[in-house]
Amino acid sequence: MRRFLLARLAQAGLVALVVGTLSFALMRALPGDAAMRIAAGRYGPDAMTGQAADKVRLELGLDRPWPAQFLDWLETLARLDLGHSLVTGAPVIEELKVQLGASLWLAAAALLISLAIGPVAGVLAGLRPTGWADRLGLAASVSLRAVPPFVLGLVLILVFAIWLGWLPPAGFGTARDLVLPALTLALGLAAVSSRVTRDAVAAVARAPHFAFARHKGLPEAVVVRRHGLRNAAIPVVSYLGLQAIYLVEGVVVVESLFAYPGIGHALVHAIVERDIPMVQGTALAMGLIFVAVTACVDAASAWLDPRLRSAR
Amino acid sequence: MSTGLDVLTASRPRAVTARGAGAALIAALAAFTILGPLVIEVDPAAQDLSASLAPVGGDYLLGADHYGRSLLARLAHGARLSFGMAFLTMLTAAVPGILLGLVAAWRGGLAERAFELLANIVLALPGLMLVLLLLAFAPGHFGPLYLGLALTLWVEFYRVTRATTTSLLKEPHVEAAKLLGFGPAYILRCHVLPVIAPLIATLAAFAMATAIIAISTLSAISVGLQPPTPELGSMIVELLPYYAEAPLHVLAPAVLIVLLVLGLQLVARGEGR
Amino acid sequence: MRIAWFLAAALAALSTAVAAKPLKVVGPWEIAGVDPAQSGYVFSRLQVAETLVTADTSGRLVPALAAAWSVSDDGLVWRFTLRPDAVFHDGTPVTAEAATASLERARAGVGVLTQVPIAGIAGDGRDVVIRLDKPFAALPAYLVNFSAIILAPSSYDDAGKVSRIVGSGPYKVKSLTPPLKLELEASRGWWGGEPGIAEVSYLAVGQGETRALMAESGEADLVFSMLPVSVERLRRNGKLDVQIATIPRTRILKVNAGSPFFDDAKVRQAVSQAIDRAGIAKVILRNPDLAATQLFPPALAGWHVPDLAPLGRDLEAAKRLLAEAGWKPGSDGILERDGRRFSVTLVTYANWPELPPIATALQAQLREVGIEVKVSVGNSSEIPSRHRDGTLEMGLVSRLYSIVPDPIGTLLQDYGPGGSDWGAMGWSNEELPALVGRLVGMSDPGARAPLQRRAVEILQEELPSIPVTWSELAIVASKRITGVKVDPLEVNYGLAAVRWAE
Repeated sequence: MRRFLLARLAQAGLVALVVGTLSFALMRALPGDAAMRIAAGRYGPDAMTGQAADKVRLELGLDRPWPAQFLDWLETLARLDLGHSLVTGAPVIEELKVQLGASLWLAAAALLISLAIGPVAGVLAGLRPTGWADRLGLAASVSLRAVPPFVLGLVLILVFAIWLGWLPPAGFGTARDLVLPALTLALGLAAVSSRVTRDAVAAVARAPHFAFARHKGLPEAVVVRRHGLRNAAIPVVSYLGLQAIYLVEGVVVVESLFAYPGIGHALVHAIVERDIPMVQGTALAMGLIFVAVTACVDAASAWLDPRLRSAR
Repeated sequence: MSTGLDVLTASRPRAVTARGAGAALIAALAAFTILGPLVIEVDPAAQDLSASLAPVGGDYLLGADHYGRSLLARLAHGARLSFGMAFLTMLTAAVPGILLGLVAAWRGGLAERAFELLANIVLALPGLMLVLLLLAFAPGHFGPLYLGLALTLWVEFYRVTRATTTSLLKEPHVEAAKLLGFGPAYILRCHVLPVIAPLIATLAAFAMATAIIAISTLSAISVGLQPPTPELGSMIVELLPYYAEAPLHVLAPAVLIVLLVLGLQLVARGEGR
Repeated sequence: MRIAWFLAAALAALSTAVAAKPLKVVGPWEIAGVDPAQSGYVFSRLQVAETLVTADTSGRLVPALAAAWSVSDDGLVWRFTLRPDAVFHDGTPVTAEAATASLERARAGVGVLTQVPIAGIAGDGRDVVIRLDKPFAALPAYLVNFSAIILAPSSYDDAGKVSRIVGSGPYKVKSLTPPLKLELEASRGWWGGEPGIAEVSYLAVGQGETRALMAESGEADLVFSMLPVSVERLRRNGKLDVQIATIPRTRILKVNAGSPFFDDAKVRQAVSQAIDRAGIAKVILRNPDLAATQLFPPALAGWHVPDLAPLGRDLEAAKRLLAEAGWKPGSDGILERDGRRFSVTLVTYANWPELPPIATALQAQLREVGIEVKVSVGNSSEIPSRHRDGTLEMGLVSRLYSIVPDPIGTLLQDYGPGGSDWGAMGWSNEELPALVGRLVGMSDPGARAPLQRRAVEILQEELPSIPVTWSELAIVASKRITGVKVDPLEVNYGLAAVRWAE
């Protein structure tokens, strides 16, 4: 266990360094005048961007050579400081608290809802491949997945906020505000996770040991619980781990449709506006979350399949 | 309640018809995609502002968008571009993903660690950031868009392949086959592929949808392809503001994407048994 | 039974909440940072912070924090007398020193005050005294701009940066969650009296469709900036009031008059005649009256010249002019001259959601006269940055003429020698800068009129930038509230005057 944790910590450190360096290098390599973009991000398109850019360049020392700027970042990072956003002037950590925090809530809610829908629908479909549950599941999952999330979100707003009047169409801060964006994301997630589950369950259901268990007369529920779920869960957990990352990263269009402050939105702005500390900070935070999630996924897989434990 | 064996025997003819339906659907889409732009002579970029949002039927078979451009022509050209690009992206992601996954599961050790590290670094970098950064080098071009999407998608294939194969290789019957001296090719063909193929096929179908949806997401934040390129995802974005007046127009490109994914799924299901 | 009781309790809780509920305002603007030059407009519009001078809905300058102002006979010394009863939200009085500090800061920053020839600002009793290097009649208009809001000394941190907004308006900041949410409460010390609604909550909603849905669902009381496509639908909704104001903003095609494509005025006129403004205004903006027949919209009194020959579409004339300029159709229909194809890139940006669609329409329309246009939708900074390095060929921009209430400020910037980021490029004209230079020092409308007319005529003939459409602002108010007024200059939304309807 300690070795496992140490290895993960080392991995986290490595990821942090690589991600920070890569994002710095990529951002630096981008064509175009960074000062202009920062100025446009700060003062908007009605301002005298050219003059503002000159002031920004002076203020931020953007003319300094890049090694100096990178060393600056490493130095502040060593003090556990992510620096200040070049656009808003606020500490990056403060911005992350609000935006990444909001994204984590949204992702958690979406993951929970999708867990309540996807695997259940998948197991139902997988146990009776080509049955009605399977067909319905296929049609639903294909339609949900092949429609862009903002269209799905719009439909949900029309139904739940306009026709039924149950939920607010947009906003944030209360649990009611969270429902629609989370549901939008969850439906998209469940669309795939139900299919992955279905295939895994169908494969397990075809496996000799499963048929044997059925034939030896165990009740269906016991068969499913003891032999089906556990084996089927491995690819599903592995898949959901990945999805969690995509979710935290933020489905930027869902955020903007629901006026929800998420990290996707922040990241897009930061990249477009060449806000390097913000991009680095976001990438770093995301990288660390990723390491944490993978650790959880691995732990879950090992718990589900004891044979994997011996390999570690 | 039927037993598992009943299901197996009973499902055979149905799977074949499902597979046939899927194949027919894909063939029809392929025909529309390949022949459509040749048969439909209307320029998908030609505007007629007086025919803005012309209804389905009438002068325009499938209606016209807000600029009065023929939706039929745009759908045909858009489907060609979207499906082609989605397929390429999926292939570019799936092939290395599956290969690396198999190697990692089979060899373990150093190879597995190296691939894991690579996958982790790619995953740890926000995918959106990768695509946006690549796009920033050549705004509005296909190359970086396609590369960026493939770069984020391959990990999915890799992980599912590796996870499933690793646990498969530890199954008693596979270990037995190994001990009996069957070579990697045999075990791959007889024990691994039949199990991972349906998983991969499902992932692949959805990966194509993901690629098209990703492009629409990018055009929703105005960093996708440049006008007047017809592309299914960006068509939905362009038409979205008109959802109240012309809901059918907004849904038409989405229907094409649904049909494609449905067709692929049906075919994938057939292969599964 | 228990459920029924629970529901009743919940309903009771809801109805008490109604009594103290805030006015919910939704707009598209995000609050990126608290610096006045960055998001001062939000705090000015929502009446958190005030300027010395403000403008009424017709654009007339009226007193705000300054009760009165005067200028010396030589036009060099301006005196703004502060109203005696103004206090900041932290309880301190609005002093000439605080005002001077805010203005000095604005002058050193990137706001419009940098354009005014200010020699020095000083406090003198209750007067703020601004000394100029040369007469500048438009100074009070410049002070209306949001970058010149007056903040309390407690707004600044040790480094002199604005860390929070402590203003003097009827509302004070209760909480700010950048970039999307701002909550306000009545300040109880405003010189103008108590606001009608004690609490205001502002939510930034970038997506136009969502803003319309917020209004329709009744979730928002006041929604700013509706998409043209939603307006008709919202008008039919019995619970909502839609108000529309023409705002002094014009979408123009900025062309590089120094490039071999557009150095000939004939080509610029041909481009102008190739554009179907009426079609664009009708289809994309849903209001045919927004087709720009000249640079300034009718609402800009003095600057709109009603009897000027209107810009319009004439494809034959456009083709003739292009031929006269030496451009002949090539084999694929695209014009050519000396082996060069008439193929240009049109740069635009999506900060205004209507710009990319208009660019797409222009692309197809210019193709009809043989001009190939590649549309590139990028960041708004592409325009100034490509203006600077000279690579811009064409840009579709949305230009605001009320950054200061008098468009002279923008004209001075845009069409002066060498042009500017959002104005002319590679275009030189002796007469216009001279005219504008004289106008800056004049304040008598009668004397200004002929000069204004001549300036507009020059712009209409020479077309250094080609007007495409004018703009309007649509505001949706729930019928739950009354007293909503549309401010076409977007200086101040007058929320303090809004009341709950009985």
